[in-house]
Amino acid sequence: MTEAVIRKKPGMASVKDMPLLQDGPPPGGFAPVRYARRIPNKGPSAIAIFLGAFGAFSYGMYQVGQGNKIRRALKEEKYAARRAILPVLQAEEDERFVKDWKKYLEYEAEVMKDVPGWKVGENVYNSGRWMPPATGELRPEVW
Amino acid sequence: MANVADAAGEPIPTSSVLMAAAKHIEINCMPENVEFLKCKKKDPNPEKCLDKGRQATRCALGLLKDLYQRCKEPMEGYVGCMYYHTNEFDLCRKQQQAFEKACPLE
Repeated sequence: MTEAVIRKKPGMASVKDMPLLQDGPPPGGFAPVRYARRIPNKGPSAIAIFLGAFGAFSYGMYQVGQGNKIRRALKEEKYAARRAILPVLQAEEDERFVKDWKKYLEYEAEVMKDVPGWKVGENVYNSGRWMPPATGELRPEVW
Repeated sequence: MANVADAAGEPIPTSSVLMAAAKHIEINCMPENVEFLKCKKKDPNPEKCLDKGRQATRCALGLLKDLYQRCKEPMEGYVGCMYYHTNEFDLCRKQQQAFEKACPLE
């Protein structure tokens, strides 16, 4: 009933003669809509991209090399300092070792004094070189 | 353990003191050190190189005492920094510069 009231045409015989109420385009039609792709073809070319990447890589590797040079210099400084103080430390250890070795030789002489034919004192290898003692008993307080 | 000298004024040869003075030892005690190393290379027996070792130790300890007497403050600062950073040279550059300015490496 309400549609007939809204869309009334004067002189209407039945509901079938009501004018149309549609949602349609405005007069003259809609404005045209662009739906075509427009991807621009500007920007760096392939060669430019490759050269840029290669340039960044080589700059990075150059910086790596420079950093390695600096690190090597620092390590060399540390090693040179260790080389410089090595004789002092080795001389101290030699003194301590000689003292302990003499005490050990006396102990060995006392222990083996009744064994015939035991050349008391040194009894190391036959090559003639000096080898450090392999017994591990010389510094029981350390080990 | 960060002080350089004991009660009598003698520098204690700890690792931080030795590393701090290492460049000076390298330059001033080079002949004794080289002699000791040559002796060791010839014969590693400790009993044979005792005298050269004593010379090297005497040179190094004398040099430490001399450095300590000549520039006490910068040396104590440098040794303290080395002790704190466990003998890392790169972390003690400031004290190293001050020490080498006071007692130059000649």
